[in-house]
Amino acid sequence: MQIEELVVELSKDPFNPELNFACAQEYDRLGQTASAVSFYLRTAEYGYETHRKLAYQSLLRTSICFENQNDRKYTVSNCILQAVELCPNEVEGYFLMSRFHERNGEWQEAYTWSGIGLDLVDGMEDRSYSNPFLDYEGDYSLMFERAVCGWWVGRVEEAKDLFHTMLLMNIKDNYRSAIVDNLKRIDPNAGL
Amino acid sequence: MNPSVFIDDDGDILVNLRHVNYTLYHSENEQLFPSRWGPLSYLHPEKDQHLRTENYVCRLNPNLEMTDYAKVEMLELHTPIWEFVGLEDARMYQWEGEYYLVGVRRDTTAHGEGRMEYSKIEIDKANWTVKEVQRTRIPAPGEDNSYCEKNWYGILDAPFHFIKWTSPTELVLADPNEPKVEQVFVKQAPTPPSDQRGGSQVVKWGNMYIAITHEVNLFKNYLNQKDGIYRHRLVLWDNELNLIGYSNTFSFLDARIEFAVGAAIQGEDLLISFGFQDNAAFVLRTPKLVVEDLIMEALNYAN
Repeated sequence: MQIEELVVELSKDPFNPELNFACAQEYDRLGQTASAVSFYLRTAEYGYETHRKLAYQSLLRTSICFENQNDRKYTVSNCILQAVELCPNEVEGYFLMSRFHERNGEWQEAYTWSGIGLDLVDGMEDRSYSNPFLDYEGDYSLMFERAVCGWWVGRVEEAKDLFHTMLLMNIKDNYRSAIVDNLKRIDPNAGL
Repeated sequence: MNPSVFIDDDGDILVNLRHVNYTLYHSENEQLFPSRWGPLSYLHPEKDQHLRTENYVCRLNPNLEMTDYAKVEMLELHTPIWEFVGLEDARMYQWEGEYYLVGVRRDTTAHGEGRMEYSKIEIDKANWTVKEVQRTRIPAPGEDNSYCEKNWYGILDAPFHFIKWTSPTELVLADPNEPKVEQVFVKQAPTPPSDQRGGSQVVKWGNMYIAITHEVNLFKNYLNQKDGIYRHRLVLWDNELNLIGYSNTFSFLDARIEFAVGAAIQGEDLLISFGFQDNAAFVLRTPKLVVEDLIMEALNYAN
């Protein structure tokens, strides 16, 4: 449905988490991040008891909306922290928090959050679980953060091992090219 | 946000749309997920504390789909010297053939003094461009020593007349070309349970005038963080602008912050434009029967 139809539906049941989430997603898809934020927040506030996973995803998507607006760092991290606190056994929040710190050059923080996420992944039945809606492509998303930030905190061998392992995995092209670029710099003898 | 719908002499449905550089963050319900600064925050860029407003004038087709839009090219008359920059919550009018955006500007003094301003605009409908050609700052009536004047709402069929205060109803006449204003009258009226602030333009409906006003409950939570709830009423005056009714409170989409600054009659319907949490803008087509129900409610409720 287009946003006009979605809002009409919402007007009949304005506190419905699923309808709020649908409006948020559509605004998000249109690049209207401020509007999306309003409806994601309503999803979280009105759905945390009955739609916990939706609330979790809403908080994380809110963080992505604010990140795309630029220069709202404290809000980005706050939303992720709220999501992780809400669903500590879900992995996407750990990835987004690690990526957030990595993008801000906070290497130890990023390294730590990716490590916690990977520990969680180790206990999962399906390591390949992915959620592209939250930019989480699978366990290699966390491994990538771990490798990049590992290099910056002095763990160069771990970084190399992780990068080489990922090249043997079924990963997206953007990750593959980034890994190759990184290895050319940190492991020039690898023959890439 | 805060769109102001208006139908001009050509029959075009126009909307002035306020564009801001902040995102309003408002956690509702049990407020489990507030921002770092509380449940209600204006999230401007962290390295730029200004809350900046620009305006876009849009044209809608009869189905209320946007067909044209243009950023209003404002005159550069001064360097803004306060955090709130630009013409805010402008309502749209066409009086004596000229288009006006009339809103509050607070960037001309170092302490944020707010005054209503006329921005006379020219709309080039062939090329769809909009530019401000004249600006007039309206003093407050009398001593002109108040801190902030805002939300005056104009009467569509009474050029340059604004309701400055709803109850008692204070009517002022503001010169669009010079900084001059005069109080026309103050009329005693039934007192709503809460102060009614403007508001959409005042629209002639049959032999009465109607407008959508708002009331706001601003408060602080136990952490001393600000919060607020906005609600609306339909307010009703007779032909002599005696306030004769106000409806019960209502909201549009049940958000705690909504704000209506536009109303226009299209056919038998009333178009009402409103902002949702400062983050989205809507035009609501309201059938005549619904409006008349609200009018009956307003007459009954006030009495």
